[in-house]
Order: sequence, then structure tokens, then C-alpha cells
Amino acid sequence: MKQLVAITINTFKETIRDRVLAVIVVFALLMIAGGLWLGSISLGEQGRMIKDFGLVAVTGFGLIVAVFVAANLVHKEVEKRTVYVLFSKPVSRAAFITGKFIGLCGTMAVVLAGMGLFLFALVWIVAGQASGMVLLAVLMIYVQLLAVVAVTIFFSTMGSAILAAVLGICVFVAGQLSHNVLALTRLGKNPITEALSWVVYVIIPNLSAVDVKAGAVGEQTLAWGQIGLWVAYLLAYIVVALALATVIFRRKEF
Amino acid sequence: MLRRVVAVVAVVVCAAGVVAYQATRPARAPATPRVFVPSPRFFLDFSPSFRTSIADAYYLNMVQYYGEHARGDGRFDSLPQMVDLVTRLSPHFARANIFGAFALIDAGRPDLSARVLRRAFSENPGDYRYPSYLGFFAYRYGKGKTKDVVAAHWYQKAASIPGSPSYLTRLAAVLMGKGGETQKAILMWGQVYSAGDKYARQKAVVGLERILPKEKQARMKAVAPLYGTMPKADFEALIAELFQGYGQ
Repeated sequence: MKQLVAITINTFKETIRDRVLAVIVVFALLMIAGGLWLGSISLGEQGRMIKDFGLVAVTGFGLIVAVFVAANLVHKEVEKRTVYVLFSKPVSRAAFITGKFIGLCGTMAVVLAGMGLFLFALVWIVAGQASGMVLLAVLMIYVQLLAVVAVTIFFSTMGSAILAAVLGICVFVAGQLSHNVLALTRLGKNPITEALSWVVYVIIPNLSAVDVKAGAVGEQTLAWGQIGLWVAYLLAYIVVALALATVIFRRKEF
Repeated sequence: MLRRVVAVVAVVVCAAGVVAYQATRPARAPATPRVFVPSPRFFLDFSPSFRTSIADAYYLNMVQYYGEHARGDGRFDSLPQMVDLVTRLSPHFARANIFGAFALIDAGRPDLSARVLRRAFSENPGDYRYPSYLGFFAYRYGKGKTKDVVAAHWYQKAASIPGSPSYLTRLAAVLMGKGGETQKAILMWGQVYSAGDKYARQKAVVGLERILPKEKQARMKAVAPLYGTMPKADFEALIAELFQGYGQ
């Protein structure tokens, strides 16, 4: 447990100090504020435009941070050979992977909270009323991105950092199209393609089951039961992805 | 020294080239930049989580397109597809629905405008604006003898939605009377009378005076259906006003 906490704190400190992260966050805040300009040409729909485009910016920049930082987490340790020092001590591979993940979760929480609160304040100033749905939407984006982080860490234990980052982005995109994969299982009568599509459907994280962004702009009423179930599903998915990452990482000799 | 000057000149020339290239682009922009508008199905299938953001982007595009062509050539060839895309991706986007409907009228497509409003009303049954605009469009752009009655039906629907303004019932009653649906008009004026303030009551009496027969027996027969559809005290007050000059 002590080792896990130490790795978590160390990962958090290491990632939060990264200057690239600060640049990305500043750029994200500028993009969110850019919604003000879009709002000004929207015939009185400033609030909606800022919410909608702001949440897209939070998702996009959150994804960049999640994927590129997660892809480098394990690789950096191997390249710098600090992993040898680490594993010469009584540190399990599971604690290493889990600590790295939780540390990055902390960094992601800080980054997304910063962007979310900025967007929340902007919407409050422009629309004249606070929108709790914006914060809820950012929270859901955070949970989505944690699943992407877990998958990217899993890929990073198998291949290079760049490959892991690319695959992480692919999984995010595929996760948005989950229902289409399900539709494929119903196309045609070939049992092999049907079974294959079903396997792909189960493997890819379902990131589009709940659309909180649409709820934030008043397009959809949210079913809390569905949201709870979806969050539980994503957390379970994260556990499985990290477990598989640990299994693969255990096979590596250091 | 010379090397440095050459380097600075080279950089300045390059910077000037960059600015010049960009500065000459607007003149080369196509006159009608939005030839292709994707189908709503495409976005619903391939980006369900971002459908409202895409709708917003196309809404801004639609407003710009409308403005450009309203000031320019007056042609709105891509507008129906744009309105359809935005309102299907974001069916609760009230401003897009209403702006789209009015823009389609300018594009000479009141049929599509009515379709957009009907769809918006089915998606937002609690918003009285859609049926009231449908009533307005039916009255303004409808054809044939029944257009008043069709408009009145929409106004009646709008008036039945909680929170709708009281003038809608009056509009519906006037149009019912105009369209020859005297019985329905009488009932609606009765509603206006019992639900309204002093001004609305005066309007209701004037409206009824216009459509009721002058002969006492026929007038009594015409207002008889009001009994039971409105509170007794209101009914008696209305009858007293309608039969003021008739004696016992």
C-alpha cells in the first residue's frame, strides 16, 4: 500500500509539473473563451454556444492530455531506467501500474476541474445563470477519459509510446461509434461476422451510451439511473484494462 | 554583417509572402461555399455524442448563409437542407426551429417551413410558440376557404398549452367565426369571456356580437351551447351583456 501511495504521489507530481501540460491547458482555456466570439454571431444563443463548444474543447484537450501523458508514463520509466531501481525494491507490477494510473487520474482531475470551472464561470457570466449541468458534463467527460487512460496504459505496456497514443485515440473514436458496431452484428446472416462484431462491440468501451453534452444544452433529459449504470460500467472497464496491463507488464523482464 | 542583412531580408520577404498569400484569398473564395450539406442521418450515426455541437456549428453556418444571400442574390438553394440538418440533430433547439421556419418562408418554401414547425411541435409539445406560428403561417400563406379554420385550429392548440398568452384564444375565436365555424367560435368566445380580464370580456362580447344573429330567438338558440361550458355566474353575466337591448 505504501508503495502504491508513493508511486501515485510521484506520478502526480511528475505529470502536473510538465510544461507541455500547462501549454495545453492555456490553449484549451483560450479555445473555451473562443466560444464567446461564436456566441456573438449566434442571434442570442451565447449561452448554448459557449456550453456546447466549450464542452467539445474540454473533451478534445482532455483527450490529448490523457492519451499523450498516459502513453509516456510507463515508457519514460523504462527509457530512463528508473524502473530497474524501482523493481529492485519490493514493488509489485500491479502497484506500479495502478499507482501510475491513479496519479494520472489526479492530474486529469486537476486539468479537467480547471477547464470545467472556467467554462462554468464563463457560462454564468454570459448566460446570467449558473449551469450545474456543465459541471456534471465535465465530470462525465472525466470518467470517459479515465477509461481511455486505462486503455492507453494497457497499450503502452505492449508497444511504443506513439503507437499507444494512436491506439488510445482510435479507441476513443471507436467508443463513440459503439452502437454502430452493434448494428453490424445484425447485418447479414453470416454467423462468423456476427460473432466477430459482437466481440469487437464488447471489447470497445461504450463511450456514447449517455450523452451528457446534449443534456447540458437542454436537448435531452437525463436518466440518473442510466448515468449511474454507465459510470459503474466504465469503472469496471478500467479495472479490467488495468488488470490486463499488469498481466502483460509482469511478463517483461527488468 | 552582410550575412545577417541577407538573413533578415530573407525572413522579411518570406513574411511578406505569407501575408500576401493570405490577404489575396478572400477574393478567390467561392461565391456559394455551401454546395454540399451532409444528411442528418450521417451525423446521427457517426457522431451521436457530438450531435448538438455539430448542430450548433451548422446553425451558425445557416445564419451566415441566410444573411449573405438575403443581402445578396436572394437565392437560398441550400437553406432547406441546412434547416433540416440542424433541426433534426437538435430538435429542442428552439431558435433554430423558429429562425429556420421564417428563413424558409423567405426562401419561398412555406410548405417546408410548416413541416419544420410541425416536427418541432411534436418534439416540444409544451411550447405554445410552434402551434401559434403554424396558425400564423396557415393564415398568412394558406390557400382556399378553409385557411381561416386551419389557422384557428392551430391557435386553439397553442392556447390550450399552459403558459400561453391569452390573446391566442381570442385569435382562434375570431378566425373560427371568419371561417364560418360559428358554433366553435361561440364556444371559444365563451372561454375568452370566462378566463379573461375586463378587456378580454369586452373583446368577447364584441366578437360574439359580430357572429350572433340579431333576432332574439335565434340568438338565444345560438348561445345555448355555452351553458355548461363556462361557470354559471360568467354565463349569466355574458347573457346579460348580449341581451342588453332586447328587453324581457
